[in-house]
Amino acid sequence: MNTDPLVVRDVFASHYFLLAFLASLGTIQVAVTISGARGLWLTPHRTVTRWLGIALIITGFLIFFAQPLWIEGPWAAGSVEADSASREWGQADWSDLGAARNVNDIHGGLDGTRQAIWFPLSVLLAFAISALVGALNLRIFKAPVGMAARPGNDEGEIGGLTGLAHRSYFSNLKVSWRIFRSDVAEVWRSGLASADRWSVFKVISERSRK
Amino acid sequence: MNSLDVDLVIWLNGLSGKVAIFDDLMRLVASDYLIPLVFSLCMLALWLSGRTPAERAKYQLATLVGISALAISNVAVWLINISWDRPRPFVDHGDQLNLLFYPPTDPSFPANPVAIGFAAAAAAWSVNRKFGWWMFAVSGLYGFSRLYAGVFYPTDIIGGAVVGVAVFGFTRYLRRFLEPLVTTFVRLMRGLSVA
Repeated sequence: MNTDPLVVRDVFASHYFLLAFLASLGTIQVAVTISGARGLWLTPHRTVTRWLGIALIITGFLIFFAQPLWIEGPWAAGSVEADSASREWGQADWSDLGAARNVNDIHGGLDGTRQAIWFPLSVLLAFAISALVGALNLRIFKAPVGMAARPGNDEGEIGGLTGLAHRSYFSNLKVSWRIFRSDVAEVWRSGLASADRWSVFKVISERSRK
Repeated sequence: MNSLDVDLVIWLNGLSGKVAIFDDLMRLVASDYLIPLVFSLCMLALWLSGRTPAERAKYQLATLVGISALAISNVAVWLINISWDRPRPFVDHGDQLNLLFYPPTDPSFPANPVAIGFAAAAAAWSVNRKFGWWMFAVSGLYGFSRLYAGVFYPTDIIGGAVVGVAVFGFTRYLRRFLEPLVTTFVRLMRGLSVA
């Protein structure tokens, strides 16, 4: 490799973040149209939101893998060779595109640990944007709520993602947190009672009782 | 067995160089960014996509087990690697192989990407058979692409798959020792309106 791996890593990190952001935003949209969490939809319509999600995922991958055609990076002359050590800095051409992103992490590619840091950050950003746009959608369009989405119609659950079927994330957060605070002690107690006898927490609690 | 392993990787890799577009496709599938991100997105989708609160809770517990299994798979692979440093196929048979991928520097057995893929797929399969089978297929394709590229032996791929599924089983078993912490964590996420 004729380029500093740290420079290569910066390029990969920013490109990967964009990919992960677009793909996770798309995945969130597809998933929430299945679960019916309207408070996170980017558009007021289920089908449009789902197709938008699929388009976002495809766009993310297309941009990431096609970027070497117009952005300079460690994928110019020599990138058709398997060894990323032989590469030059520059733009790739069509014949090199399939292998352009195959850069060893010792030469600046992102290893699993770095991907495991960037991916959750991109998911957080994608979720925040879904929550913001979803809240605006509910406010502007005042989308009609279907039978299944009405509170009380879903096994008594009104917090969490179920609550997002008829509320924005921000108003749902208050309700969900209140439910969590009132339920948590009972959830823990009943969980402890039904837990396996080798549960670490059960063993500790039984020991402390003695 | 070792000879069969070598013969298979040389034969499969020998198919490369004939159809350029297929080689490019395999290079793309073998990438560190395509299939690993697909696995992560599948875990994200599993977390959010339950249709009822009960189904969602089941999916979310499976996602947590899957993510933990993914991390533990890495540790298991590392432990095997320090006890057996199997050289990559291109190290011992470089003159017979057409390497389509950069030469990784870690040991060959077991295939870490396959172990991770199978751990995640097993988690999905445990709650949604159809989705799980798709993930197994994608994991298998990922393993095949690395085999075709000449960076793994077939037994590395099989070993990776076994490690992934075994680690998932172990992680699922481990969950019983950590209850009610896991269930309470899901409730906390629900309290934050993300579950």
